[in-house]
Amino acid sequence: MGEIAIATEKLTRTFGALTAVDSIDLKVQAGHFFGFLGPNGAGKSTTIKMLTGLLAPTSGRMELLGLDFQKHPVEVKRQIGVVPEGMGLFERLTGAEYLRFVGRMYGLDRATTEKRLEELLGFMQLADRKKTLIADYSHGMQKKLALAAAVIHGPRILFLDEPFEGVDALAAGALKALLGRMTERGVTIFLTSHVLEIVERLCSHVAIIHQGRLVAQGSLEELRAGVAGTEGETKTLEQIFLSIVGQSGAEQAGLEELTWLT
Amino acid sequence: MADVAQLPGVLAQLRLIAGLRWSLLKNGLQRKNNRWDLVGVIFAGVFGALLVVGLSFAFFAGASACLAGKRASWMALLFWAIFLWWQVFPIFVAGFGANFEFKTLLRFPLSRRTFYLLGLGYGFADFAAVSSVCWVAAMILGAAMARPEVLPVMAGVSVLFVLMNVTLERLIGSWLEKILAKRKTRELFIGLFVLSMVSLNFLNPVLQRYGNAARPRILEYLAYLDWLPGSLAGSAVAGSVHGDLRAILLGAAGLFVWLGVTSGFLWRRFAAQYRGEDLGESAAPAPTKKNNAIAVSAEKAKAQSSNGEFLPMLPATVAAVVLKEFRYLTRNGMAFFTLLLPPIMVVFFTMQFGKGSALREHSLNPEMFFPAIMAYLILILITPAYNAFAFEGKGIQTYFMAPLRFQDVLLGKNLFLAALIAFELSLSLALLVWRVGWPSTAMFAATIGAGTFAVTGQLTIANWSSLSFPKKMEIGKMKGQRNSGVAVWTAFGVQIVVAAVCAGIILVGRLLGNPWIPAMAFTGLTAAAAGGYVASLGALSRLAEKKKELLIETLCR
Repeated sequence: MGEIAIATEKLTRTFGALTAVDSIDLKVQAGHFFGFLGPNGAGKSTTIKMLTGLLAPTSGRMELLGLDFQKHPVEVKRQIGVVPEGMGLFERLTGAEYLRFVGRMYGLDRATTEKRLEELLGFMQLADRKKTLIADYSHGMQKKLALAAAVIHGPRILFLDEPFEGVDALAAGALKALLGRMTERGVTIFLTSHVLEIVERLCSHVAIIHQGRLVAQGSLEELRAGVAGTEGETKTLEQIFLSIVGQSGAEQAGLEELTWLT
Repeated sequence: MADVAQLPGVLAQLRLIAGLRWSLLKNGLQRKNNRWDLVGVIFAGVFGALLVVGLSFAFFAGASACLAGKRASWMALLFWAIFLWWQVFPIFVAGFGANFEFKTLLRFPLSRRTFYLLGLGYGFADFAAVSSVCWVAAMILGAAMARPEVLPVMAGVSVLFVLMNVTLERLIGSWLEKILAKRKTRELFIGLFVLSMVSLNFLNPVLQRYGNAARPRILEYLAYLDWLPGSLAGSAVAGSVHGDLRAILLGAAGLFVWLGVTSGFLWRRFAAQYRGEDLGESAAPAPTKKNNAIAVSAEKAKAQSSNGEFLPMLPATVAAVVLKEFRYLTRNGMAFFTLLLPPIMVVFFTMQFGKGSALREHSLNPEMFFPAIMAYLILILITPAYNAFAFEGKGIQTYFMAPLRFQDVLLGKNLFLAALIAFELSLSLALLVWRVGWPSTAMFAATIGAGTFAVTGQLTIANWSSLSFPKKMEIGKMKGQRNSGVAVWTAFGVQIVVAAVCAGIILVGRLLGNPWIPAMAFTGLTAAAAGGYVASLGALSRLAEKKKELLIETLCR
């Protein structure tokens, strides 16, 4: 068993009477491309926020790269990159200024920051927009910039909350290739997405959260093995997902009841 | 084929839209924060009703008096007052925020005619229109009481006047919407607006100096006002009193032309909106250029950036925050124009009270003028510190994701503000010296000491307020851009206490006859405040960690 990049122990977060994340025990090995799935409101973003220091857990422990997050927040943050929900951009900076700001905040020296920001802007096809205010970027361009900011300091773990949402197919292809190369170099990627095809294609390991509880965790093969099916049939991630969260037939039956649409 | 048997008529659609607006208001008030706004709405409603009813009596009495006496031509003044109110007030309450709500109706199957009528209907639904219609009605009533024979002309002219006003108001509104939809034009417009409001302060001194000389020219230009709606309506009504058919026809025809022209332009504007005019400001697709940026060498990149480190004496994170604050200031039109306020106010006050002013008998001694105006300028400049994260938006998350202690963020923000205040005060001081002269050295030292103490002392509390009572603001908007009530009262209370302490110390110095006592006292207080500030940074970092959910939720909304 390799190095554990992310480990949580009974991680819980409540909002008043609502338990958004309920005592989850996650284990993600270093270098894995890890997909974190769940229906809307299942607790995915809350978990990512806790793992990246944007939200304090109500109880439980988190260890990233062997460091207790609550005890060593600065050391942990230095080694992780995040594309949070909403992207967290300063909209009144230009793309280049924002990357420069983030680079300096993560402790890169000026020359390294400049070199990397030029490379990143070029890679993300934003080089000709580096003097444009982020407020004037399209949603997809903002997403690419947020991703650039998340990797500028060379993180060992990358947290991505819906990273491909609004990104065009060309850029998405380049990003997927980049992320793939990062995992080859040992970077752990923790990704949430509603597009199960993307997760299936990119991720080697998956966890599924439902109503705040972790209901499945393992490699795709392990998950397939855990779901009953016809002999010889290879289940898709979508089938696994629907089977596990228990909504395989209910909603489709509901659709059939909309009589004026059929 | 859709299952829609028949489209609803205009009245049914108006009813639906009124219901929609009511639901929006009702649901909005269910949010806890908005319940306090309800109190404000009730106060505003009562105040507005009193204003409308009170002025209705005034317009009733005014119209009666004008027509009963031999001052029928003064009716134009009443029409002018309503005209100006109707056209200018909505511009102020629009708050320079683009309002797309009306345009969202386009998703429904509306004809262009229905869309136009709905647009006009919206025009009758605002406060300026409702109050103006009440006042015109009061004038009609007053005219009927004073001279029943003018009632037909008065009523006809009033209908034309009302229709023209609502059309013009919607036309101006739709053009403003078009202009303000773009960020750059919106910010420029707001800047010019703030500047013009500030410039109004100079009206009195300028009139005092040049008023008599300019009077003949002003009177000459006033003649052109006869062609505007207020004068046209007034002259038509006055014509009916004097039996002057030509004046009645000319006035009514003039109003009719105004109505026709504004209607034509409004039809064109609404037609453009109806066709799907794009008022958004999303970025155009990036042109595909040959990607040659990847291979930029470190040397070239370094050469492209400014030379060397920015503020090398500061830690990199603090310097990065200072630089970010500077960039944000230069891109916040409203805040940037606020920086013009201190020097402008110095010039204004010195014009009013300084050497050579028309109010020479009230001229102030620089000995008191200097500390007073410096206190006023600090009051203006430090208030934003009580909600220092207002403009961060979603970027606030970056501070919590980055590997830093939050005190670096506070330090960066505070250093930038302190430098800004120092710059502004230096500029204002130079203007003061030019206009009024130097105060004594002791008073100069005391004022600088008091200023340093006031800023240092307030920053600690302002940081606490910023973390505890954040309120999101958006650059380029005026509507709803205000601090949390608690932050406002905190700032108010602290500033009163600090001002009282400073004034008390200066007074004690004067009573004891030693002009250097205040300077020494302020030096001690500044040292204590600075110690407190440094000691507070760690606690404030911990507070930021506790309040991060509140900050993120409030600012990312």
